Amino acid sequence: MLLAVVSGFAAALFAPFIHRRLPRYSGWLFATLPAGLFVYFVSFSGRIAEAEPPRFAYTWLGSLGIDLTFHVDGLSLLFALLIAAIGALVIVYSGSYLAGHAEQGIFFSHMLAFMASMLGLVLADNAIVLFIFWELTSLSSYFLIGFDHRRAGARHAALQALLVTGLGGLALLAGLILMGSVFGTLEISQWMLTGDAIRFHVLYLPIVLLIAGAAFTKSAQIPFHFWLPNAMEAPAPVSTYLHSATMVKAGIYLLARLNPVLGDTVMWSALVTTFGAATMVTGAYLALVHVDLKRILAYTTISALGMMTMLLGIGTPIAIQACVVFLLAHALYKGALFLVAGAIDHATGVRDATRLGGLFGQMPVVAIAGLVAALSSAGVPPHLGFVGKELVYQALSEHLLNAILLGAMLLTSISFVAVAGVVGYRPFFEGMRDVAREPHPPGLSLCLGPALLAALGLIIGVAPGLVEHWLVAPAASAIGFQPVAVELALWHGFHYNLLLTLFAFATGMFVYSRWDGFRAVCTSLDASASFGPARGYDLLLTATSAAARATTRILQSGHLHFYLLTIVVTAIALIGGSLLTQHLPLGVSRWSDVRIHEFVLAVLVLAATVLVVRARKLITAVVSLGVVGYGVALFFLFFSAPDLAMTQFAIESLSVLLLVLVLFRLPEIERYSRTSERVRDAVPALIFGGLMTILVLTVTALSREARLAPFFAEHSYPDAKGMNVVNVILVDFRGLDTMGEITVLSIAAIGVFSLLKLFLKGKRESEGNP
Amino acid sequence: MEQVMSTINLSAIYPEIILTCFSLLILLMQSFSTPRFKEYYGYVSLVGVLAALAFVVMEPSSFFAQTVVYSFNDMWVVDNYARFFKLIFLLGTGLTILISMKYLEDEAMQYGEYFALILFATIGMMIMASAGELITLFLGLELMSLSLYVLAGYTRVRMVSNEAALKYFILGSFATGFLLYGIALIYGSTGTTSIRAVAASVGKYGLYSPGLVMGMAMLVVAFGFKAALVPFHMWTPDVYEGAPAPITAFMSAGPKAAAFAAFARVFMEGLPALQMEWTWLIWIMAALTMTIGNVIALVQDNIKRMLAYSSIAHAGYVLVAFLAAGELGISSVLYYLLTYTFMNIGAFAIITALSGRGEPRVFVRDYQGLGFQHPFAAVAMSLFLFSLAGIPPTGGFMGKFYIFSAAVKEGYIGLAVIGVVNSVVSVYYYLRVTVAMYMEEPSSVREAEAAAPIFSPALVIAIFISAYGVLSLGLFPSSYVAIVKQSFLALQ
Repeated sequence: MLLAVVSGFAAALFAPFIHRRLPRYSGWLFATLPAGLFVYFVSFSGRIAEAEPPRFAYTWLGSLGIDLTFHVDGLSLLFALLIAAIGALVIVYSGSYLAGHAEQGIFFSHMLAFMASMLGLVLADNAIVLFIFWELTSLSSYFLIGFDHRRAGARHAALQALLVTGLGGLALLAGLILMGSVFGTLEISQWMLTGDAIRFHVLYLPIVLLIAGAAFTKSAQIPFHFWLPNAMEAPAPVSTYLHSATMVKAGIYLLARLNPVLGDTVMWSALVTTFGAATMVTGAYLALVHVDLKRILAYTTISALGMMTMLLGIGTPIAIQACVVFLLAHALYKGALFLVAGAIDHATGVRDATRLGGLFGQMPVVAIAGLVAALSSAGVPPHLGFVGKELVYQALSEHLLNAILLGAMLLTSISFVAVAGVVGYRPFFEGMRDVAREPHPPGLSLCLGPALLAALGLIIGVAPGLVEHWLVAPAASAIGFQPVAVELALWHGFHYNLLLTLFAFATGMFVYSRWDGFRAVCTSLDASASFGPARGYDLLLTATSAAARATTRILQSGHLHFYLLTIVVTAIALIGGSLLTQHLPLGVSRWSDVRIHEFVLAVLVLAATVLVVRARKLITAVVSLGVVGYGVALFFLFFSAPDLAMTQFAIESLSVLLLVLVLFRLPEIERYSRTSERVRDAVPALIFGGLMTILVLTVTALSREARLAPFFAEHSYPDAKGMNVVNVILVDFRGLDTMGEITVLSIAAIGVFSLLKLFLKGKRESEGNP
Repeated sequence: MEQVMSTINLSAIYPEIILTCFSLLILLMQSFSTPRFKEYYGYVSLVGVLAALAFVVMEPSSFFAQTVVYSFNDMWVVDNYARFFKLIFLLGTGLTILISMKYLEDEAMQYGEYFALILFATIGMMIMASAGELITLFLGLELMSLSLYVLAGYTRVRMVSNEAALKYFILGSFATGFLLYGIALIYGSTGTTSIRAVAASVGKYGLYSPGLVMGMAMLVVAFGFKAALVPFHMWTPDVYEGAPAPITAFMSAGPKAAAFAAFARVFMEGLPALQMEWTWLIWIMAALTMTIGNVIALVQDNIKRMLAYSSIAHAGYVLVAFLAAGELGISSVLYYLLTYTFMNIGAFAIITALSGRGEPRVFVRDYQGLGFQHPFAAVAMSLFLFSLAGIPPTGGFMGKFYIFSAAVKEGYIGLAVIGVVNSVVSVYYYLRVTVAMYMEEPSSVREAEAAAPIFSPALVIAIFISAYGVLSLGLFPSSYVAIVKQSFLALQ
């Protein structure tokens, strides 16, 4: 099983090289992989119908609860078969569609990687593994939409799709992690067995919202639908495969997969049904407004996805059954229609439905395939689309709000009929319009896909028994998590649903005949282009970018000054904040023993400090700084630390000297800052200084017991046999330190030597070349 | 877990001794040998790093023996936590050396100090990871920082490099002051600077001293500065932009990890009793660090600057895991820092190759069309960027997953949500570079020709090691997870 999933990635790795060797036949060659996988998955059908679904586990990251586990039940199998079958046809098709394209090898590589990701997604049992594959589909979709990267439109659409679905992907991750924390395991098949626990959990609402968010972005539900029509920038095989047959159905798959765990609550049905129904009607309406063949198909796809979402929200056995049948039907006919649109585009270079016509003569096979698929999509018997729609009507009529939902469904059906005319009939059988160049007849590999898919839709429609037991029933059972008996039939006898179908068909025909007028009215009313969610997306991007620029200007001015100020102010807040909550012993009582010369010295140091800040001349500032340092050294002396005082004296003298030497070569201080700025800086400086004073007082107020001097005095002779305490400290107690100091001196010497060497070298060179 | 205590156990500092010897050796070579040898400085330092690496794993006992060795009167600790960090540092150092060799040759700056300083900085980091005592920690931090100040300004003919070094130095010394004040306050409150003794003292007497909380606040400022956490992050973009590209790579990995190593040891081992006091503080800092880092990175055109902001954001993610603490939290910190070292240095390796002499080509637009001219470099760069963005199946994804699961498990759901939203934002700017590489044409052919990257064998090796690390951390995480979990156990 792991091999089946990974083989696509492996093939993707080598695809460009193989393609370079065999540019003409690579399409057929690559198609053997999905074809083989199709056969492999068919072999599961028997095992699923009769017994426990097979499960495959490979150790990966067990300590975090993540292993590569795969699980083949009816739902997974249905998807896996669609992915493999349509994958094979689409790859054959692209072999001819993109023939001669410079990056065709890379295209195959992306397609195969996508196929493997999609298979992994529908087969994964571990939630995190599912998420990983989910993200991989988004990523490969990004590359495939942007395949024609020379056009800015394609790049923009690719990014948009990635951001929208990527956002959903992270919602998915969050939702799955939350579910994992509720259930204590990340295996989805284990979740099913746990029962109702999660439906009454505190986190149920956030989980449902996150999962629904993920499904809605991926399956282009309102208000995230806008990325799908834009994704039509992709080549036709990509639109067929990703944006109608498989990837966009991943959201449907997710809802179906988690239906037994999350479903069956008022919240879930209300949310999922409402968004599904709204998407269905909106998509159906927008499909009639556009003229680009692929955009029209994209909107009907959105509408169909909405229908499936709605059915999953209803969640009754019949609704689930309807969803499965319709999903199959849709994959077949919409796949065929996209391929047909692609073939037309390939042959004529035109996708505008108003400019196409009379192509039957040039491409009879494609035309017939298109017509058959269009009839299926319009729900005309004896096609599978008809069987599906009948089931949908039946499911809706049993619902509590049947009037509203049936009304919505009727409108959608009308649109589907009209669109079927526009896409499947008009380009072939109506009079010739203005096509820029003479169309050339499509070859075998361009015809094979649409013909086969359309034919399958017709055959299964005539004999639904072919799929009902081994494909539809297990899938429906898996979604409902209970055995579902499926009886599919083309003819249910006279039923008022049939009247609805007839009505929809008649009205749809009428709309088709008045299509141009209808479109004109809609366009004049259409405000969605300026206020829709797509606009919101653009605004969001612009606003984020503007906000980022503003933040940069404020926070990253480049002024060292400002950076220091930020650190100081934050430190004041932190330390001051903790000061407020503490009781501080300042040790004021000990101030009484301050002697007069100490006081004088303190005043002197303070005065020198003020002078450092106020000085106009550099030299004054440096000397004042020296005074501060000497003052501190005197303090050390007063408090019996002569060694420290000596060090301080030496360092102060040296730094004053060095500073003076350097400063002689610098210009005088100018007034860099305005008075207001100086005041602004003075306030934090004074507060910070005050805080530090308090801190020092606090620390000195605390008594410490550790005293080192007695320790050395006591231990020098007994432990180290030395009378001179200082010597003993240097060579015994602190022996390693002394070695360290010697090392430091040596390193410094080496450094000086290197500098001298460089200096001498520089001198010699300058003497050499005067 | 066995504990070994001894007054002086030199085998506990073998790796540091070895590195010191090698850096001195390079300085000696520089001083006393002919310029002919200048090509070998890099190789010599590489040998030193490898030797130190071996000793980190083997001495004073095998990594897997789980022994904790205390030496120098508790001033020095060698546990698996410290060793894991040392492995990260040495890895970062080794990769940096590989990237640097050709770069220095092109910039005509093949001096021994460069490598010696890198090794000194590494020793400083290793001291920080092993410090069982605050003053030792301070020494390590200063050794690291002083070396970095010099390295940041290493290309001294370039103004931006000088500016970077000066800013870094002034702000850095300021932060060091805070560290010292903090240590002084903690010492004043507990009478000791040993981290374990501080914990024991606080545990015994409780929060009796006001200085303790303030000392902690000061340590937050100091570590926050070294790890570039908001609002102490402002030096990062300026310094990363100005420093030579290999040094930027170096600074973004090791020193940052070292700051976290010390941060975690002091706070988890020394000040656990103050957890109530620092939780809210770290929470705010984590949220701010992730958000500000990512938002500003959105509009950067200079790729070094962009990655500087991204490194700020990544520190924010690590801070989330830090806050979650516990086994999952700390082990995810380790996992993430290891991943980050691979992916960030990998990205900088390609930036170095592409930047050209004097680094004129460090803008996103300079990556246009790279996917067609240098497919392998572009694939590697995409891999590193995807990993930085946290897209599966890379190590970056696993690391983020690890962190956010830890956060969710410990109840920091709000912070995890902020982190996830930030990851989405970050995808946008990492992707800009990928888009430029694969989907845009260079603005003129001449420019494309001028931009021929320089791939020396050493640099290619560095890229391969990084790519291998990123992929294996993403695809086969289990053995790494086992190691980080062992390393966490040491902190108990």
